[in-house]
Amino acid sequence: MSSKIASPKLRSAAWRISFWASLAFAFGTMLVFIFLQEFVEQDIQRRSDAWLSGEVEVLGNVAERTPKDRLYGRVVGEVAELAGREVPNKLPSENDANDSVFFLQRGSNDSLQLWVGAGSGTDTLAAILRIKLIPDQPTDVRVKGFAVPFRVACIRVDDGSRIYLGLSERDELRVLRNLRIRFLLWWLLIVFFGFAIVFLTTRRMLSHVRRITEAASQIGHSDLNTRVPTTKRNDEVAQLALTLNRMLDRIESSMHQLHTITDSLAHDLRSPLTAIRGKLEMSLSASSHGEQAEPIVCALEELDRLTEFLNQSLDVAEAKADALRLTRTQIELDELLRVMTDLYEPSMADKGLQIRLYNADRVTIQADAALIHRMIANLFDNELKHLPAACTVSIRLQAEEESVSIVFEDNGPGFSTEVMPLLFESRVKGKESNGHGLGLAFIDAVARAHGGTAAASNRPKGGAQVTVTLPRVSGVTSVSPIGMVHAAH
Amino acid sequence: MRLLLVEDELDIQDFLRRSLEEAGYQVEAASDGKTAQRLAIDGAFDILIVDLGLPDQDGISLILRLRQLGVRAPVLILSARRSVDDRVRGLEQGGDDYLTKPFALAELLARLRNLLKRNNPPGNEATRLRVLDLELDLLRREASRSGQMLQLTPQEFVLLEYFCRNAGRVVTRSMILDQVWGMRIQPETNVVDVHIYRLRGKVDSIGQQPLIRTLRGVGYVLKDR
Repeated sequence: MSSKIASPKLRSAAWRISFWASLAFAFGTMLVFIFLQEFVEQDIQRRSDAWLSGEVEVLGNVAERTPKDRLYGRVVGEVAELAGREVPNKLPSENDANDSVFFLQRGSNDSLQLWVGAGSGTDTLAAILRIKLIPDQPTDVRVKGFAVPFRVACIRVDDGSRIYLGLSERDELRVLRNLRIRFLLWWLLIVFFGFAIVFLTTRRMLSHVRRITEAASQIGHSDLNTRVPTTKRNDEVAQLALTLNRMLDRIESSMHQLHTITDSLAHDLRSPLTAIRGKLEMSLSASSHGEQAEPIVCALEELDRLTEFLNQSLDVAEAKADALRLTRTQIELDELLRVMTDLYEPSMADKGLQIRLYNADRVTIQADAALIHRMIANLFDNELKHLPAACTVSIRLQAEEESVSIVFEDNGPGFSTEVMPLLFESRVKGKESNGHGLGLAFIDAVARAHGGTAAASNRPKGGAQVTVTLPRVSGVTSVSPIGMVHAAH
Repeated sequence: MRLLLVEDELDIQDFLRRSLEEAGYQVEAASDGKTAQRLAIDGAFDILIVDLGLPDQDGISLILRLRQLGVRAPVLILSARRSVDDRVRGLEQGGDDYLTKPFALAELLARLRNLLKRNNPPGNEATRLRVLDLELDLLRREASRSGQMLQLTPQEFVLLEYFCRNAGRVVTRSMILDQVWGMRIQPETNVVDVHIYRLRGKVDSIGQQPLIRTLRGVGYVLKDR
């Protein structure tokens, strides 16, 4: 009941749900982007390759047609430079020198015939010579001094020389890098927002579930007036709340019926008992001397026993159905045990029993005084009735942070093994017992009604032990007004 | 003392009326709330006995209504319900008392006396109690019989004081438990009797006239004559 939800925000399933949802979303979008990027990269490559092939062919034609005089270099060079200005995907370079394109003519003896581009061109020629370039098939060439490789197309000219046109992949890579950076930023933003949205919605939904859980856990023993919160929406959570409330309605009505039955049963039995008792007492005072008094006295005693039995039976029955009604007040348990010990000590001594109350500090609980008094009296009665002479009863009060235990131990014969598993059932008693067998059932009933437990066992050294554990504060703070509500019924 | 008895069970009403009249009360009886209300307003009663389960209304509502109408007399509530609910507790704090059925007549009479005493407190409380040759000094917590000091435990002194205050009247075991030990329990064992035997052993020593008498089936009485 009181399983506290420690720091509910951290334990909430909303974190888990939004984490996995965002992870799946992030992974999926990343995959899509990788495909897209691949596609874009190939497309850019294809375009620049087409441009290179076209231009190198034009340059090849120009080189072939241009007469090999002293103007040859200038003509071809200018054409190459013009071509270089129409580079696809071109981005403005920091310096004026066009270092993204080069034109190179290699003579048949592998010498540098013509060079248009940044630098001297010898490094480029060396790089080209290292790789075997196939005409009409642009290839990547790494040139010393340049971080980015060149895409180089080549064509053979009739005079045995070769013309190379190179295009730096710098711009292409820059485009792709920009694309990636932008994507990454947007991706992070979207994933974050997605996470936030999923988290907020699930938390909202789950917080409603949590409110239902909290409300339902507070509707504990005998408090059936509260209902779990509902919303106007008609989703699954709202349905859950409605179903729970309908269930509580049914439980409450059967509980109410049980109270009505036990109350009217008690009433119907008590009224004639009162009348009988009164008449017996009157006839007793009329014949206070003589022998006819004896049966009247016996009848009175029997009647009182019957009344107590009736009370306890009904209490046990109600407690078994978790329907015992409590009126909680502050009780000083240590003081109560001292008073009870004083009360029972002479009777115990008469039977040759020793009683030992281990001193306890001040312990208070919120509980129903009448029930707790009767429960402790029952614990004492139990020892008094069942222990043979010369035994010792030890009573201890153990206070823990959240609960209090009352422990009764003796060094008598203990519980017989045949009744052991049924100790807390009504009407279970040992063969020699002359009680009506409600004692332990009643103790259990009172403990349960207060949200506590009762346990009975045989000690390893011999003797019986009964422990009643009660919560210090009623687990539910809203318990105290129950009495009022019942009274209003 | 004029007493209004509100009880719908005629059997109970009958024997209560007879016992109360025997005890010296002038009793008028009502079987339902309406009659009770009329009688309570017309006649000036010193005390009321009201059963909670009336045919026409709830006993508590009747008491609250009578209070509104200016009836100030204390009320002894009779309840056949098992649990004492908060409204009864509230009335108890307001100066009334309750008794669950079935009850011993002696207890009913004792509670009536208490209620009347509570509402008419004596000027100053006596510091000494005297019953025949038994004398109690309430300030020094000492008891003596025929001038001879009795060696009593504090608990026994409280018990004897209770007897002395009710000298000549019957006290039941549950009254003793309630008044001396402060709990309304019904032990299955003879715990109270053992206390009385011990007290009697000290008060009624050999050769003296026994003061504490057992009335079997009813309780005990401290002789005052």
